Amino acid sequence: MIPKIAWKNFYRQGLRAFLNVLVTALSIIAIVFNISLLNGFQAQATRNMVVSDVAGGHYLAPGFDLLTPTEWEDHTRPVPEVLRRLPHPEKAEILVQQGQIFPRNRLYPVQLRGVEMEQSLLDLPMDALKSQPAEPGDYIPAVLGTKMAEKAHLRKGDTVVLKWRDRFGAVDAREIKVVDVAYFLNPRIDEGIVWLRLDHLRDITRREGEISWVAVDRYRGPVEGLRFETVEELMADLLSMLKQDRRNSRILWTILIFLAGISIFNTQILNVFKRQKEIGTLMAFGMEPGRIVRLFALEGVYAALGALLVAAVLGVPFFTWFQSVGFDVTHLKETTIPVHEKVFLDIRPGEVAVTGVTVFVIMVAVAWLPVRRISRLEPTAALRGKAIA
Amino acid sequence: MRIHRQSAFISMVFLLLHATASFAFAGETDPNVLLKAIDDNLWSETKSIEGHLVIDNGRKERELAFDSWLEGREKGYTHYKAPPREAGTKMLKIQDKLWMYTPQTDRKILIAGHLLRQSMMGSDLSYEDMLEDTKLSSAYDAKVEKVEDVDGFPSLVLHLVARDETITYQSRRVWTDPQRKIILREERYAKSGMLLKKVDFSGYAPIKGRLFPRSLTFRDMLKENTHTTYHFDVIEFDVPVPEKYFSLSILKR
Repeated sequence: MIPKIAWKNFYRQGLRAFLNVLVTALSIIAIVFNISLLNGFQAQATRNMVVSDVAGGHYLAPGFDLLTPTEWEDHTRPVPEVLRRLPHPEKAEILVQQGQIFPRNRLYPVQLRGVEMEQSLLDLPMDALKSQPAEPGDYIPAVLGTKMAEKAHLRKGDTVVLKWRDRFGAVDAREIKVVDVAYFLNPRIDEGIVWLRLDHLRDITRREGEISWVAVDRYRGPVEGLRFETVEELMADLLSMLKQDRRNSRILWTILIFLAGISIFNTQILNVFKRQKEIGTLMAFGMEPGRIVRLFALEGVYAALGALLVAAVLGVPFFTWFQSVGFDVTHLKETTIPVHEKVFLDIRPGEVAVTGVTVFVIMVAVAWLPVRRISRLEPTAALRGKAIA
Repeated sequence: MRIHRQSAFISMVFLLLHATASFAFAGETDPNVLLKAIDDNLWSETKSIEGHLVIDNGRKERELAFDSWLEGREKGYTHYKAPPREAGTKMLKIQDKLWMYTPQTDRKILIAGHLLRQSMMGSDLSYEDMLEDTKLSSAYDAKVEKVEDVDGFPSLVLHLVARDETITYQSRRVWTDPQRKIILREERYAKSGMLLKKVDFSGYAPIKGRLFPRSLTFRDMLKENTHTTYHFDVIEFDVPVPEKYFSLSILKR
């Protein structure tokens, strides 16, 4: 009986009810979009970092900190036997040293990063280095990322002087030849880095068998002489940035829900005020105030349900279309955030369900709150339309 | 025609004499003894210098006035007096460590390890170059390479090879004047043999029985159109240097 009356009342509200439903539905779509976009951003950044740099974690030389270049030379270690014996798809040995290049006779401090050519754990565009002999000849072959090449004004085939120190501190300098300018998915391993064959870097710095870290596919237990850093630790700055983004998105989430809630709250207050005579009549016919409250609250529930339905009807095609075009983030190319030009949504059913249920509960609550006062109305005053001033 | 022949003959005689003198010059001189004599001339127990440093990076020239006090090879204190932007900057070197104080930050910073290899105040010298405390005679083995004219005077060119793998420049070439026991020019090489730096010593003047250059011009050969020149306006040898100059407490306003 009550649901039927409530539906009729809701339906008769016409445009007002439809707008309430639409606003709430759009809020749900916006919230799901926002959360899923962040998910997609994080998933893509993580994937790019993992395949190109982080892998399943790093076994680092104690004291090594990538952000302290002046100490790189002090923190190298020979590769422990347990890691050296791992097959190439499961580990990548890396040595990092300071260097300076002099493009157009200008000093440009660089990171010399040597990677072993046999490794297949990391997805790195090193084909041009693989074909080079193990002993450097007249020049040292090097690969640069597109950003690095652009900043240093170097192109494929160019030669430039490289200056470095060997393990004893003696200064050395030779020409390097840019054998390839390659696109790196991850800008963190592009800018400021000169990629060399590991055997070449070890040879010119006289650090035979040494590494700064070994990237591995997964944790292999404690290794003497090295410390392990997990993927989360290696990506701490990025994850912390995304965490902050999630915090910020909650503010947006709250504003949207608040707006939708205000809309329904306002409608319900207006309903009680405008429909005093109807309430009085129902009371006069003997309907208990509690039942009248439930009747009005149920109208709010219909609005919430309608919002979920409309959100699904509008959201599914919208999200389907969006997944075919992606979100353009080319403006991030100049940053060190490891994402492609486009970010796609990562819609997680659990999060969608939680969002839907949360919005529904809040909508029901804001529909019920204003109509509680019905239970306190005087039937005679309500019949005359003067119960609420 | 006759005059022409005569002048050719005179030139030949002159060249012959010059070459003979040069070979004698090269043959008689023990390069390591010469290097030791050069070091003895340059190094003293203590030194106080008033001078200015001109840094020309090819686009802009900066001039810094400074006072320096040096004790042996291990202690050095420099106080920059001008320009206003650099005035009050102090550097204290004790053994292989260098502290820098800037009045803008009112903090002293330790420049150690690999930081010493960075360019000093945008100049052609690294902090390490500036702090160089190795006597050439103790770090290098010298060999006479050739005799070459420098500014019209015969100069004995020595090729220096480092005795130790830890020496920054594994080889150098110095143009010396064996008579005066001074260096006129120096080239510093990378291990590969690539020329990295050139230093010109000029304006030698007698100071307390020593011949000391009034200016040193450094050129980083990997950069273009840059040079840094030290001008030593007042130099005093073996002067008492207050102990407080070599204490960290000097690094304040």
